[in-house]
This record gives sequence, structure tokens and C-alpha cells, in this order.
Amino acid sequence: MSNAPQTAPRTAEPTVALDTPFYKPQGNEVELFEHAYKHQLPMLIKGPTGCGKTRFINYMAARLGRPVYTVACHDDLTAADLVGRHLIGDSGTYWSDGPLTRAVREGAICYLDEVVEARKDTTVVLHPLTDDRRILPIERTGEILHAPPEFMLVVSYNPGYQNLLKGMKPSTRQRFVAARFDFPSAELEQEVIIGETGIDAMMAKRLVNLANSLRALKDHDLEEAASTRLLVYTATLILGGYAPLEACRAAMVEPLTDDVETTRALMEVVDIAFGN
Amino acid sequence: MEEKVGELWHRMITRMADTRYPEAAVHLEEIELTVGIMFRALGGDGGLEVLAANATEHGARRGLLQRIAGSSKRIELAWRDAQSLRLPVSIDYFPERRLNHYLYTWLAALAVGDHQQEEAWLGKNQRLTLKTLHDYPGIGKRYRLLVDAHLAERMPPEKLPTAEAAQEQAIRQALLHPGSVDRLPAAKRPPQPVPLWLHPFPPIAAPSSGGAGDQEGERGGGETKDIEDMQRHKSERAKKPEKEDQGLITIRMENIFTWGEFMNMDRGSEDNDDLESAAEALKDMDNLSVSRDAKASAGKLRFDLDLPSEANDDRVLGEGILLPEWDFKKQKLIPKHCRIVPMMAADAQPRELPERLRGTAKKLRAQFQHLTPARIWHRGQQDGCEIDLDAYLRYASDRAAGHTSASDGLYRDLRVGARDLACLLLADLSLSTDTWVNNHARVIDVIRDSLFLFAESLAATGDRFAMYGFSSRKRDPVRVHQLKSFDEHYSASVRGRIDAIKPGYYTRMGAAIRHSSELLKAQPAGRRLLLILTDGKPNDLDKYEGRYGIEDTRRAIHEARQLGLQPFCVTIDAQANDYLPHLFGTGSYVVIHKPSQLPRELPLLYAKLTA
Repeated sequence: MSNAPQTAPRTAEPTVALDTPFYKPQGNEVELFEHAYKHQLPMLIKGPTGCGKTRFINYMAARLGRPVYTVACHDDLTAADLVGRHLIGDSGTYWSDGPLTRAVREGAICYLDEVVEARKDTTVVLHPLTDDRRILPIERTGEILHAPPEFMLVVSYNPGYQNLLKGMKPSTRQRFVAARFDFPSAELEQEVIIGETGIDAMMAKRLVNLANSLRALKDHDLEEAASTRLLVYTATLILGGYAPLEACRAAMVEPLTDDVETTRALMEVVDIAFGN
Repeated sequence: MEEKVGELWHRMITRMADTRYPEAAVHLEEIELTVGIMFRALGGDGGLEVLAANATEHGARRGLLQRIAGSSKRIELAWRDAQSLRLPVSIDYFPERRLNHYLYTWLAALAVGDHQQEEAWLGKNQRLTLKTLHDYPGIGKRYRLLVDAHLAERMPPEKLPTAEAAQEQAIRQALLHPGSVDRLPAAKRPPQPVPLWLHPFPPIAAPSSGGAGDQEGERGGGETKDIEDMQRHKSERAKKPEKEDQGLITIRMENIFTWGEFMNMDRGSEDNDDLESAAEALKDMDNLSVSRDAKASAGKLRFDLDLPSEANDDRVLGEGILLPEWDFKKQKLIPKHCRIVPMMAADAQPRELPERLRGTAKKLRAQFQHLTPARIWHRGQQDGCEIDLDAYLRYASDRAAGHTSASDGLYRDLRVGARDLACLLLADLSLSTDTWVNNHARVIDVIRDSLFLFAESLAATGDRFAMYGFSSRKRDPVRVHQLKSFDEHYSASVRGRIDAIKPGYYTRMGAAIRHSSELLKAQPAGRRLLLILTDGKPNDLDKYEGRYGIEDTRRAIHEARQLGLQPFCVTIDAQANDYLPHLFGTGSYVVIHKPSQLPRELPLLYAKLTA
């Protein structure tokens, strides 16, 4: 058994976008985000998977010129994973900032993706940061960080698929300005797909029609609606020269269901809506 | 002989006249799911179910052979009504299976746009066709294939009288170029049916006599209603028969005094052995009316409580287990006095949780998931997914200070804290559970719902649990139905068995408790809970009633305690207070005064008991 730490010290690195990523606003979310940023309000974004939440954050960060620290939350995420921990070095231990602490120090945007996946006690560390105090007390070192005006906390989750238990703690939820995302309208979604992949307008239209057909099956035959992300995948495959029907199967039908019968039925729909 | 020849002739001529292709037939049941999903995906109402359409007489001209054979009089066409999408039971118009399959999907796609407004048949179908072709470009190829194949099957206009030929021409035109024909030329006979189009006069069921009325009857709300309301007339527009003055009896009905009461009897066997001829007869019927009225008969006749024949009974598991019984008069255990017969429901179909319980089950599951112990960090482990920094610091500083200390326990690991618990639920399935608690449910229904919710809740905690039901007929056999053993997962087949529970015989509680104790004893858990769900005192046909039964049960409970089990009784017997403390001891039982609350109370009670 080795006594040395088995993993290298983890340091959080921010992502800084070099150029502004492609984003088509669905409504007034850009304006809302800018207002929240200006007034130092934390923001909560909810919406189904693959509708553009993460892209929106990255777009806004690039627009505002701030780096983003993204944390994908999971149920083993501890407060230490956010705030930081002691690590062992050659000459003893040293403190290493977590992504949240770094974002506070640097005045960056800290983005907690799928925040409901984290255990509720973990997210309580966010509380002093999300009210008017805007401080982050680091318990283990005794330090109290005051967030600069540029710091912004953004969390997101998908209100659909998590079970009842994994709702957000109401006392946490209440601390955010919230915006709901949904799949864009057909015309907008076509523009998104064209903008993202460069596919021709006719194909984009067919893909969006198909996606809207499949979305009608949510809750009845499918657990989740076909996302814009899947459409982009499909368009990418088609553009790369993959046969359209097979691209739909690989990037839209199979990812949506495991049931063979349903797959067959969905392919029938693809054939009708898309066919040759 | 005559009959035989006739039959042969009939078969031959029918086969010759047949323009269908049964070998290429596609049946609704094999394609039901696909069409349903397609229908919804293309924008059809999600609440509609896909049902089989019954055949209607079309009245159009038939070929000579068909007339001789007397076949092809009726045709199954698709339509859509407020509750369902009706499609033919099977489609065999085309020699190619693929085309028959296409026709199904085509009809489903066509029905999406149908909003059941009054509209001329020809115009409406052309409009729907155009719309479908426009919305779903991929279906165009299929449509052309179908039209080509169908036109080849249609009676050519040259063979028809002038008026009908003009009609046929118009239909052909409308099929080939939808939207191009304004109206159908008049003719004496109706045109040849078009299987590619929706039904010209869909026999839409009147909503008042459809499903809704029927359900109302089921809920028992029909007591004051006229009996006619509770009958279901499927696809029938005709007036319902008058109920009064029916029958051929010429004497006044009120003069018949010997006819006591209407009895609901369950027939175990089919009257008509010749199922095939019954099926034939069914096909030939224009309307099939099934009536179901939920009015409980005022009086019930109990035939006997004999055991069912082996063929009709549930499956017996194992040989049977002999158990002792306590005779309080002799103050001693009589060894090998009762025989336990473990059984399992024979015809239980796997099923989902009943719709009406889903909401409650969801809430309970959420509550019970809180009982699941959270995963916690176990410190100072030999191995684990992370370093235990505290332990490592101690170790490092010890070493730096010159001490030698063992280098173990430097890791920490995230594991589920154990909930060291096993529970066996024993439900009383005796005949007394057949009584009604209110207008809607019997005791057995309440017990069934309770078992469902109990299982849902416990499955959420991850506790080990088992469920058994019992009823007895004297000391041999004491039938113990296995609903879920400890080693089974809570699954659809367990739900099926819960669903299949029915009132049995008598309540020899002692033996059942002893048997359950044995099962529970074998569980390795630290805490073992024996939950008994009953509706009354122990009793059986022989001496097992009153004091004897109570004393034996008390003894069995006492034995269970000595084994280290925790017995607890839930009863819905309102007069139970006098004997329960004696049986179970104070604090080890609870009386549910409103039986209808049992399904909700039981899981919560479990939570309290095990918290």
C-alpha cells in the first residue's frame, strides 16, 4: 500500500471562451441575465435536457467577458468539492481552492450544472453567497471571502426527470432569479440547427418537424423529449454524408428508447416524416 | 352426405370468390403499438386507444362469384371517434405483406387530421389525404404504392353500369389525384368501398351509453339509476330495448311469488364447446352488445366452502409443513397438529400498480426514501475511494516525529449505512374479508390496496420484506399464499399475485403465525418485524374458535417473541379491543377504525415502528 496521495491535486480550471459561441435567444433571457449580473443576483435556469442551458451560460460569459467555472453536480459531490480541501505536499499540507472559491476570488461565473443531483446539505454552502451578504466563509481555514461585483452564481436543473425526492430545497430555490427554458419554436430551432451545423434549410425543416412529432410522445411512450442537441447530432451525421434515415436512427431514435417495439414504431415515424 | 357436399361447395366457392390474401395478412394486434405511437407522434390525441373496428355492410356491387358465395358483403374500415382510433382487425387486401402494413400506417396517419366534423365522404378523404401527404413527405411513396395496388384490385369501370362506372371513375381520379374531384356522381348503389379512406358513416358510439356510463355503474353509483343506463352498447345507434313488458310470460309478473331474487352466479365452464362456431357467429353479427351492470345483487347465496378441485386451485408449493398447536385446556402443545400448505396464485398475471393508487404510492415512496439511510463516509478504512486526510496527517506527523506507526486505515469510503431490518407481513384472507366496508370496497379490496402500497413503500426503503396471505379449513390445510418471499424482488409478478388475492376460508391464526415466524427467523437481520393484518378473531370450523383460538394465537405470538421477533398486529375489527391486549400485549397492536384508511395508514405505521 502506498502512502502517497494516489491522485494528483485537483485544481479547478476556468473555461474562457476565445470567441463567442453560437446562441439564438428564445426570449428575453439574455436581457434578464445581464440585469441579474449587473445587480449581483444569482440565477437559476431550468429546462429539459439539451435545450441549450449550458450553451447559454457560455454565451453569456463570453458576452460579459468573464471566465466560467463549471461544476457538474452528482450525488457524491461534497461541500469540499466546491469550496476546497487540504492536500498533502512535500512539506506538509496546503490548502487548495475548489471551483466555487476560485470563482469568488477571481470574480468569475460559477455554474453548477444539474444542481439537484447534488445532495441538499451540499448546496447549503451556497446560502451566504446568494443573499445580500455575498460572502463565502471557508470553515477549514477560517477565511471569509467577499465576492467581488463580477462574481455570479448560476445553477441549472432539469425539472422533468429527477424523482420527487430530488427537488431543490425551497430555501435554496428562493435565493435565485429564475428562468425557464424550453425547446425553441420550429423556425428558431431550424435556425439553431443551421447555425450550428450548416445543414441546408430543407433538411433542417424536416428534422425539426420530426423532432416535434417525437416530442408529442413524451410521457406517453417516451420518458424524455427529443432534444435540440440530438437534432444537432443528427444534422452533423447527415452533413458528414451519413444516410439520413440511419442518422435519425443512430442519433434520435436509439438514444430516446431502449424498447425494441418502440424503436420500430419510431423508425416508422421517421420514415414517414423524413423518408425519401 | 348432403351436408358434407354443401360444406365442400361453400369452401370452394368462397375460396374462388375471395379477393383477399390471408397469407399476407397483417393483424392489428401485431402492429397495434406501432400504429398507436405513430398516431400520437403525428399529432393524434394521446388519450385515444387503438381498437378493432367491426365490419359494416357496404351494399356495393359484388362480382358474380362473390354473389354466389355470399361473401365479401361487409368490409372493415377505419374511423376515429372521441374515445378511440378504430382500425380493421386484420388487413389482407394486398398480396404483399408490406403493403398491408403500409395501409395500417396510412390509415393511422390519415385519422390524425380527422376532427369528426360533418363533411362529405369524398371531399373529406381527399382533403385528409392532401394534408397527410403535405405534412409527411416520406409517406408519399407509400401512398402511391398503395393506390397502384388498390386500383388493380378494384372492379374496373368497364364492367359496371354507366352510373356506377362514372362513380368509379371519380373515385379512381380522387385516389390518383387527391383534391381534384368535387362531388360523387349519383348512382343507385353505393360505390365500391375504399379501404384507403376513412369510414363514410362511422358508427360513433353515443357517449351517454359508452364507457363513461359504464364506469359509473362500476363505481356503484348506479343504484338509483335506471338499469338501462348501465348497459353498454358498443357501436350501436339503435334505440335501446325497453325493459318493461319484456319476456313471453303472459301472466302478470307480480303474481309469481316463487321467484325470490336474482342471483349472480359464476359459471365455471363454457356453455358452447364449439368455440369456433361461436367465433363464426360473432363475425356475422352486426352489432355486439356487451352489458355489464355493477348492481350488486341484494341477496347472495353461499354454496359451500369446500376446497376447489385441484385443477381449479392455485399452485401448491412443496409438501406441506406440520406444525404444533396449543391446547389451552390440556395446557400443552399438540405436536404436528396443523398442516401448512404453501401456495402461489396459479393464474396471476404480472401487472402494473393500479392507476388509482399511483398518486398515493408516489407520495409514500418519497416519504419512505427518507428512511433509507444516507450514504456516509466510513473513516479509517483499509481501502477506500479517497484518502482519509486526518488519518494520513496523523500518520505523516507521527513519522516525521520519529514514531513508527502502522500505515493502515488511511482511506475513507462512501458506503450505505445499513438498515438492519426484515419484515414479514401476514395478511388474513379468510372469508370474512368478503364483507363490504362501504359502497365501494370489500375488506379484501382494502387489504389488497394496503398490500400494494405497503410493498411500494418498502421497496423504496430497500428493507428486506416478505408478504404472505393465509386462510384455513380446519387444521389441514392451512393455506399460506406466497405473495412475495424475502428473496424475490418486488416486481410486476408480485403485483400480479397481490392482485389475485381472494377471500378464502377460515382464520387459523396460530398456525400461520408459527409458519411466518419460522420464515422470519431465518432472516439474518438484527431487527425482525412480524406484521399481522387481520379483520377479526381467530376462528375455524372445528374447536378453533373463542377461547381455544385466542389462546393458541397468543401462544404463537409468545413463541415469536421468544425467537427474538417483534410481532405487531393491525386489525380493522372495530370491536377488537377486548381480546387484542390479551393476544398481543398492549402497545403491540393497533385498531384502524375506518378500514378505508388502512391502505394509507399501514405504510406510515411501518415507518413509525421501524424509525
